[in-house]
Amino acid sequence: MTDIATGTTGAVAAPGDLRRHNGGGPRASTIVAFLLPFFLPFVLFYLVPIAYAVWQSLLVVRRTAGQYGTSYTAFGGVTQYAQVFQNGEFWASIGRIALFGIVQVPVMLFVALIMALLLDTPLLRLKAFFRVSAFMPYAVPGVIAAIMWSFLYSPQLSPVVDVLKGIGLHADFLGPGAVLWSAANVSTWLWTGYNMLIMFSALQSIPQELYEAATIDGASNWAIAWRIKVPIIAPSIILTTVFSIIGTLQLYAEPAVLRQISSNISSTFTPNMLAYAVASGNNYQQAAAISVVIAVITFVLSFGFMRLTAKRAGL
Amino acid sequence: MSTTVTRVRIAGAVVAAAAGLAGLAACSSPAPSGGASAPSCEPAKGTVTLQYWNTVPGMDQVVALWNKKNPNIQVQTKNISNDQYGTIGNALKAGKAPELAQVGYDELPYLRTQDAFVDASACSAAPAAKSKFVPWTWSQTSFGGTGVFAFPQDTGPMALFVRSDIFKEHGLEIPKTWDEYATDAQKLHDADPNLSITFFDPNNAEWFNGLLWQNSATMYAYAGDKWHVTVESDHSKQVAGYWQKLIDAKLVRTDLANGSTPMYAAYQKNQIATYVGAAWGYSMFRDNLPDQAGKWTIVPMPTWGSSAASGDWGGSTVAFMKGNTHLYESVAFNSWLNTDPEALALENKLGGLYPAALAGSALPALSQGVPYYNNEKIFDVFAESSKNIDTSFTWGPTQKTVNLALQDAMAKAAAGGGTLTDALSSAQATALKSMADQAIPAVAGD
Repeated sequence: MTDIATGTTGAVAAPGDLRRHNGGGPRASTIVAFLLPFFLPFVLFYLVPIAYAVWQSLLVVRRTAGQYGTSYTAFGGVTQYAQVFQNGEFWASIGRIALFGIVQVPVMLFVALIMALLLDTPLLRLKAFFRVSAFMPYAVPGVIAAIMWSFLYSPQLSPVVDVLKGIGLHADFLGPGAVLWSAANVSTWLWTGYNMLIMFSALQSIPQELYEAATIDGASNWAIAWRIKVPIIAPSIILTTVFSIIGTLQLYAEPAVLRQISSNISSTFTPNMLAYAVASGNNYQQAAAISVVIAVITFVLSFGFMRLTAKRAGL
Repeated sequence: MSTTVTRVRIAGAVVAAAAGLAGLAACSSPAPSGGASAPSCEPAKGTVTLQYWNTVPGMDQVVALWNKKNPNIQVQTKNISNDQYGTIGNALKAGKAPELAQVGYDELPYLRTQDAFVDASACSAAPAAKSKFVPWTWSQTSFGGTGVFAFPQDTGPMALFVRSDIFKEHGLEIPKTWDEYATDAQKLHDADPNLSITFFDPNNAEWFNGLLWQNSATMYAYAGDKWHVTVESDHSKQVAGYWQKLIDAKLVRTDLANGSTPMYAAYQKNQIATYVGAAWGYSMFRDNLPDQAGKWTIVPMPTWGSSAASGDWGGSTVAFMKGNTHLYESVAFNSWLNTDPEALALENKLGGLYPAALAGSALPALSQGVPYYNNEKIFDVFAESSKNIDTSFTWGPTQKTVNLALQDAMAKAAAGGGTLTDALSSAQATALKSMADQAIPAVAGD
C-alpha cells in the first residue's frame, strides 16, 4: 500500500496513521464530493418521489358543494389502502401476474442456464456468434419487441398463423386463455439472453483447476456441469431470479402493446396497468396506494426469496 | 474542491429538497379558494402572446396565418398529441395552463370538475358566437347553461360506410334501419361464411358511446345538486342487446381494433362489408385502401325505427383555460380559428378536421364530390347527420374511467364471458364509484 501523504512506498500504514496524516476535514469533504453525484439524484429522483407517493396514498379528495365544486385533498388515513384491498381487479391482476411468474420465470431461467452452460463447454464452436445472438433480443426495446411479436400473433397478418392453418391447426395467440402466455413468450424472448449473460460471466470466473481436478477424479462433462458449475454460480442464478420476480411484478410494456390488438387484455391486466389506468382517471391518491402496495409485495417477495435461499447462495 | 463549497452545496440541496417536499405538501393541503374574481374582458394594451396547445396536424401553419394578420395578438402553438390530457392535467396542477387548449367533448365535464376552465362569457363576442355553430356542439361547450367555456372546433357526426359492390353482388339493398342491417348481416354471412357485415371493437368505448348517443341514451343529468347516472337505461340496453345478438350469432367480427393494421387487412381481403364510422374516417379508407376506390359509398346511419337521430363519435373544442388573463384576445383568436372560412379550410386540408362551425359545410372542399367515393358529395351526408344529433346528451365527470370499465366489460362480453348489458351495469357501477372517489355527488337513476 502506498502512503499518499508521506509519499513513502512499501511501508504499511495503519488506518490511524492515514487519518493523522490527512487530517479529518478534507477527507470528509472528499467523501461527500464523491458521494454527492450519486446521493443527490438518489434523494431527488428516488426517495422524494417515494415519500410523495406514500403521502399521496394517505389523502382523499374532498369537494366544495355543487356540480362543479372546487376539489381539494384531505388526510384520509388508510382509506385508499382499504379500497385497494377490496378491489377485485387488483387481486385479479396479482393472481394473473403470479401465474405468469410461476411459469415464465423458471422456464426462462432454465433455458438461460442451459444456454450459459452450453456456451461454457469447450465442445461448442462459434461461441462469440451464439453469445451475441442470444443476447441480441435484450438490445431491442421492450415496446418494439412487443410490436414485432404482435405482428406474429395477429391472425390477419401472421405468417405463423397461416402456416399452422395450412397444417390444420387454428392457433389463436390472442384468445382469452392464450394471451397471457403470448405476453410471457415476449418477455422470455427479451430477457433470456440477458440472464444467460449474467450466468455465463459467473461461469467464466470459475478457476480451471477445479475442472482439471474433477476430470482427474473421473467426472464427466455432465457431472461437471451439474455438480460443480451450477452450485458455484448459484448466487448468480438467485440474483437473476430476484430480478425476474421484480420484472414480473412490474410487467407493463408487453401486455400494454398487445392490448392494442387484443381485447382480451383489459386495462387492469397487470398491477402496473391498473395503477396507470387509475392515475389516468385522475385518482392519483388511489394510484399511489396501489403503487405502494405493489412495492411492498415486490420487496417482501424478493427479500423473502433471498432469505429462503441465503444459505445456498452464500449471501 | 474546498470544504466550504461542498457544505454550501449540500445545504443548498437539502434546502431545495425540503422546499420541494414543502411545495408538494402545500399542493395537497385543504385550501379551497372561495372562487376567483369574475373574469374581465378588458383588451390588453400592447402586444399579447397567447399559448395554444393542441393535437391537430398542421395547426402551426394555421396559427402562422393568424399571426401574420394580427401583429398585436401573437399565438404560440404546442403539439401535445403524445399525452394530451396528462399534459393539460399536469400544467393545471402546476398553475401553468396555457390560455387555450384542445379538449375533446367527452372530457369537458371531467376537466371542469378539475376547475380547468374560465368562463369567457364576460366578452360579449363569446355568447354571440353561439349562432355560428352546430347546435349540439354549443350545448356541450356551454354545459347547457349561459357560460362559454370553449368554442367547438370539429365533430365526428356518424354515418354508414358501405361496400356497395358487395351489397350489389349479393342482391341486397343498403339498409336504412338497424333491423334491416341485422337481416342483411345474416344474409351476407349465410352467403359467405368469411364475410361479416362489420366488426364490433370491444376496446372502443368512444365508438359505442356514439351508438348510445344515437338512441337518446342519456347517460348523465344534473338536478338537485346531484349528478344522476343513467348509463344503464332502457335506451342503452336496447343498443347493447342489439349488438349482443349480432355477436352471439357471430355475424360481426370482434377481433379487430378500429384503425389497426389487422382491421385494414380484413377490409382489404373483402371480409367486411360496412363500417360504422364518423366524418373524420373518410380519409382512413381513401388513404389505406386505395385500390378499393369507387367501391365505397357513404349513407346515413341505420336508424332506430322512424327516428332520424344520429350520433357523434369524437371531435374537439378549444377551451379557455384557467388563469387566462387575456380573454378578449383569446375570444378573438378562438373565434377566427373555428369560424373563419380560410382557417377552417386550412384545418380541414392539413388536419382533416370536420368543422363544428355551420360555415364549414360551405367550404369548397366539403361541398364537392370526393373522387374516392365515386365523386359523391359525402359531406352532405355528414352535415345532415350533424343536424340530427341529440343536443341534450351529456358526458360524465369521470368519463375516461367509465370508458375504461365499459371497454374491459365489453371485451369480456365479446370473449363470451357476460353480455354487453352486463357491461352497461359495470360502467354504471364504475361511474358511481369513481364519482364518489372524486367527492362528486351522484345518485343512480333519474
